[in-house]
Amino acid sequence: MPLPVSYSLRNLRARPGRSAMTASVVALVVVACSLFLGLISSLKRTIVSTGNPLNLVVMRKGSDNDGSSQLSLEAYQALRFFDGIARDAEDRPLASPELVVQPFLRTKDGGRENVLVRGVQPVALAVHEQVRVIEGRMLTPSSHEVIVGRGVLGRYEGAALGSDLHMGRGTWKVVGIFDADGSSFESEVWADVRELGNDAKRFFPYSGLRLRVVSPADVEPLIRRIDDDPRYALEAQRETDYYAKQSESANSLYVLVVGIAILAGIGAGFGASNTMYAAVQSRTAEIGTLRALGFSRAAILSAFEIEAVLLSGLGFVIGAGCAVGLSALLGVLLGGVAFGAATFTTNVITLRVGTSDLMGAFVLAFTIGIFSGLGPAWRAARLRPIEALRKA
Amino acid sequence: MKYLGLIWANLGRNKLRSALTGGAIMLAVILVCVLLTMPAGLNAILEHVSNNTRISVHAKGGLVYQMPYSFTRKVRQVDGVAAAMAQTWFGGAFEEAGRVTFPNFAVEPEQVGAVYPDYPIAAEQLADFQRYRDGALAGRQVMRKYGWKIGDRITLRSTAWPVNLDLRIVGEIASDRYPSVWMSREYLDQALKAAGRPGLGTVGIIWVRAADPNRVNSIMRQIDEMSRNSEYETACETEKSFISNFFGSLQGFVTIILIVTGLVALCIVFIAANTASMAVRERAGELAVLKAIGFGRRVIFATLLAEAVALSVVAGGAGVLASVGLTGALRVFAGWSDALGPLGGFIVTAPVIVQGVFLSLFVGMLAGVVPSWGAARKPVVQTLHEVF
Repeated sequence: MPLPVSYSLRNLRARPGRSAMTASVVALVVVACSLFLGLISSLKRTIVSTGNPLNLVVMRKGSDNDGSSQLSLEAYQALRFFDGIARDAEDRPLASPELVVQPFLRTKDGGRENVLVRGVQPVALAVHEQVRVIEGRMLTPSSHEVIVGRGVLGRYEGAALGSDLHMGRGTWKVVGIFDADGSSFESEVWADVRELGNDAKRFFPYSGLRLRVVSPADVEPLIRRIDDDPRYALEAQRETDYYAKQSESANSLYVLVVGIAILAGIGAGFGASNTMYAAVQSRTAEIGTLRALGFSRAAILSAFEIEAVLLSGLGFVIGAGCAVGLSALLGVLLGGVAFGAATFTTNVITLRVGTSDLMGAFVLAFTIGIFSGLGPAWRAARLRPIEALRKA
Repeated sequence: MKYLGLIWANLGRNKLRSALTGGAIMLAVILVCVLLTMPAGLNAILEHVSNNTRISVHAKGGLVYQMPYSFTRKVRQVDGVAAAMAQTWFGGAFEEAGRVTFPNFAVEPEQVGAVYPDYPIAAEQLADFQRYRDGALAGRQVMRKYGWKIGDRITLRSTAWPVNLDLRIVGEIASDRYPSVWMSREYLDQALKAAGRPGLGTVGIIWVRAADPNRVNSIMRQIDEMSRNSEYETACETEKSFISNFFGSLQGFVTIILIVTGLVALCIVFIAANTASMAVRERAGELAVLKAIGFGRRVIFATLLAEAVALSVVAGGAGVLASVGLTGALRVFAGWSDALGPLGGFIVTAPVIVQGVFLSLFVGMLAGVVPSWGAARKPVVQTLHEVF
């Protein structure tokens, strides 16, 4: 007959200080682990959530991002009339030629960051459905106006509605603020493509082209046609694939975090084991009595195992609560975490500890509970009733 | 000194507990050290790699705004400039990665020695870099990551230019802090012309070395003055300022790393304190007897505290040593990570070691002080009552 769970539960209260201390250790590891996981998944989510599966990114063959691609005017004029490209109400192709430049913007705290500035035509809003102007209005071409994403807003000097933004060689008027479902578009500034090209003295008018296809069935043929066209040496890919690839650099961070979590977990497990060994030791007589009453070894083993798991479960609950609170607090204090030194553009991400991050921390806490209880529970189960009673 | 035996015997009394606590402390110190190498890597680059006589000349608008290559010559003529080297981002991807996994630039080989006299490059390798048009210099991190040797031939597929370059590794920048690969500017220029492009008429950054550190500011002013109101206005800054600005966007991430480090450190305090309090509780009778036969409170307090400190310092010291080994392994496997940039150097520096050792000392003190104090202060009669 197994011992009731309430036995394990009550034992946790026998030495409240010690239980609290051990649960705190697990809680701290949970906070550290879920904070890190939250950071990386927020970064990935921001990048991966960018784009539309019906959109294609057309770039120069060999370039790996917008910033290093070039596209000539002839190529744009030819490509926009390819079959399979969707059209708007006035029968214009949903093809958005874009120029990406990464100028410096001065941050409020005196530093500077490379910010992705996208030169666009008005059609861009129709192609990028995620992007919606939520305040102010869309920029008017040829009047040195820009609209800024929500992540950019307030981070840089002049990045506010109605302000003058110093960028590149000139000064631009901020006339609108846009939202993009939390995707990395929100870390961008949009300007008129021709004006931006003039400002950056670009030889080619565009860096790439974004296309909306009519239906999913048109995606593959259109990609093949663009890839195979010998005139322009361009290649196309799904917009979602493009951003998934951009997020790959975050994967190496996962390896790091998992490594840290495992080391911290083993450490916390050692600490919890200590507490459980002490519990077994101080309850030797009790265990002897239980065995004498007829409880089996398996019952003793599971009772202590349950106690250890309950202890780390308690740690998880406390830790998870703290992690969510701390990430919210950091979000307010840091106002979004900036990322991306090597890609030359800054992604401003909102740190959020989500369910999947907490799941990761839960698995860690549960494993700590199981393994830290194993040794002590085994020792308790092996106690010989007579000796245990005599020792007491 | 005469109490050392007692402290040692007490630590050995519950070997399993001492081992578990020591293990936990060791793991946590390893973590703290590894995490601290990340911000320390950034600082080390600022302090050691950057040089106060080197100046970066780049377009005011941003690094992607190019300057005409001819401007390099004008910069060389500025009074007080010892040497200047044009540097252009090549953005080469190696092998199957398909994306840039280490920074690589086209530079002027004949200027490298004069602009970077502080870089550890062997003289004959530098001479080879100048002699062979397809020569390349690679940082030690990259050499190790891809198992390159001097004399190897590699192909870099540029993501920034419509060319691929076949390069021969002729030398190594012999330090773990330099993750870059350098190739000849002229080679890229000719490759571009062969591909039907106008050639490399522009430059992204001109690195200048001032002959005299006191004249750095006046040189920067003169260069900016030269370009004023032209189509390529420049913004000069010292190498240190350039690097700190370039990696400024990592600050938020660094903050989070430091928070996590703090949490892990707090963890060890709890674990060690728990152990210390268990030890004191179990030994209550014994301590009372010690006091009853005349040992002073101070001795009791000191031996108990010393026990906690000894455990955490020994374990922490082992942790610091282990972290040196672990980061060595990390460097070999991870190399330069494009997501971490300079944070991913994983080099345990002297300050990191000092911090690790101090942390373990501090943990031992903090964990031991409350239980030891309590045990030392408790009246003998009361303790003996409780026990017997």
